[in-house]
Amino acid sequence: MKFTRKLAFNLFAWAIVLAVAFPLFWMLVTSFKPQFELFRRPPTFLPETFTLEHYWRLLSGTNFMIYFRNSAILSTVTTLVVVAIATVGSYSLVRFRYRGRESLAFIVLFTYLLPSVVLIIPLYLMLVQMGLSNTILSLVIAYSTFALPYALWLLRSFMAGIPEDLESAALVDGASRLGAFRDVILPQLLPGIISTALFAFILSWNEYLYALVLVNSDSARPLTTGVMNMLVSAFNIEWSLLMAASVMMSVPLIIVFAFLQSYLTRGFGAGGVKG
Amino acid sequence: MADVILRDIVKSFGSVTALRGLNLQIEEGEFVSLLGPSGCGKTTTLRILAGLEFPTSGTISIGDRVVNDVAPAQRDIAMVFQSYALYPHMTVAENIAYPLKKRRIPRGERTVMVQKAAELLQLTELLRRKPRQLSGGQQQRVALGRALVRDPKVFLLDEPLSNLDAKLRSYMRVELVELHRRLGRTMIYVTHDQLEAMTMSDRIAVMDGGDLQQFAPPNTVYREPANRFVAGFIGTPAMNLVDGELVLSGGDWTFRTGNLSVPVPPLGENAAAGPAALGFRPEHVRFGEGPIEGTVQVVEQSGHENIVVAKFANDLRITGRAPAAQVWKPGEPVRIRIDTAEAHAFAAGPNGERLNRPRAAA
Repeated sequence: MKFTRKLAFNLFAWAIVLAVAFPLFWMLVTSFKPQFELFRRPPTFLPETFTLEHYWRLLSGTNFMIYFRNSAILSTVTTLVVVAIATVGSYSLVRFRYRGRESLAFIVLFTYLLPSVVLIIPLYLMLVQMGLSNTILSLVIAYSTFALPYALWLLRSFMAGIPEDLESAALVDGASRLGAFRDVILPQLLPGIISTALFAFILSWNEYLYALVLVNSDSARPLTTGVMNMLVSAFNIEWSLLMAASVMMSVPLIIVFAFLQSYLTRGFGAGGVKG
Repeated sequence: MADVILRDIVKSFGSVTALRGLNLQIEEGEFVSLLGPSGCGKTTTLRILAGLEFPTSGTISIGDRVVNDVAPAQRDIAMVFQSYALYPHMTVAENIAYPLKKRRIPRGERTVMVQKAAELLQLTELLRRKPRQLSGGQQQRVALGRALVRDPKVFLLDEPLSNLDAKLRSYMRVELVELHRRLGRTMIYVTHDQLEAMTMSDRIAVMDGGDLQQFAPPNTVYREPANRFVAGFIGTPAMNLVDGELVLSGGDWTFRTGNLSVPVPPLGENAAAGPAALGFRPEHVRFGEGPIEGTVQVVEQSGHENIVVAKFANDLRITGRAPAAQVWKPGEPVRIRIDTAEAHAFAAGPNGERLNRPRAAA
């Protein structure tokens, strides 16, 4: 009885893992198959002929590298902006006493609850008026507006977990307020900052809708809309190039995750640091 | 010369007043305890001294300097926190060196000073460890090390022993007194543990409800409590406090409650006939013979003595210390005598002042 239940549970779990992993696996093998092998029936499970020609074509014959650069700049800048503002903001929300502090925090959370689609038109009009349409900066601003509320709340809970005594001790030991923040608060906040940075980076790396609406010149397009625009048309989908592009788009995220995943789980799991 | 002076310090947090006009003069090199129940304002006083809170009104001086507007860093104080507040990401050595680093003391000198502090507190073996790898007692010593490494003018200690187990606490009490003797610095020590205050201090400032109740050497606080609050707060088991009235007849004072009537030691000029309270310590209750008759209720054996709680007419409960050889059982009838020469009379009310004639004048 116990054994069958365990078996059923395992089968179920593996079925889910397979359902999630198989498309990724298929993306990877498809990107290495030559064009003629793609539509063969029955399909080949592993490529019979291994080729890198799609990657080569993407890198040398298309705008892929420009999009990649745009995405990298966009995500990095957004992440920096979001982390910087959220760190200082959460410090204020946790450490300073002023009227409306709690309501402010809730208003911020409320903006996060609004569907981003609702904000897209007003944001677009504002950015056009500011003369920022079709720039990477416009996307940085847009992504920051919807990454910030969540980042602020995430960091707020981390910040609240840092004992106030630590900061007081630093002040008595001779640090200025800024010095105490740098020497004591920031190192304690590191897991929170890394979680927040990952969140902001992934969000801006994968975002599609805003990029589609706000930017339509190749010089500013990020990967998501750039690749779609380049390879998917009404008449034809370049499957092999699309798969190669998808693989390369995933690589930075995989690298970032591989290095920071221990911080991420530590971060979301526990907001506090023992003093 | 007074080293630390608090003058008319008021501190309000919104509608709550934590300190109501506190006045305190602490001499240079003195070990002073701020003692009181939770919420009496003792930690607030310490934080105001440290510059971590600002008084609503009043002045604070350290040395000859008014420090109201001086940042904590410039007050030449060091503080040990109840939670120790060790920087978790720094090693023990870095923790101790932090205040030196902030004062831009060159690295070479820093290392020597840290080494010296570590030797004093037996931390030399632990210098490379992180705080989380230390026991509570070791963490406490690191916190002390961080405080004393730069030789500040005043040490502020906020219940530094309360997180230690009983054995370590009594050990550290001795260590702290020894350290105070060696450094000769002013130390201000916040505690709610009267044993710590009694055993370590030159003077104790007993606080309640944001007010200073008494500021005197431990012996005086115990033997001549300024008012009913201090009398009830200092001493374990607590002083017996009985409500009744004072009667003056033929120049002698008598205290009466129900059908009980006891003579009272000479009272001062502030005494008046009428409602009052009589206080006497458990060690001044004699069991076995005497004019007052009651029933034993509870017996607590502590080995070297028995704490006996007995009940008398009118629901009067009196606690006394009886020798360990005397065996009392709950329910047993008992007679007691109160050593009234050592009794205190207090004016009515929870903070009623002591009415006895001052000892020197008696």
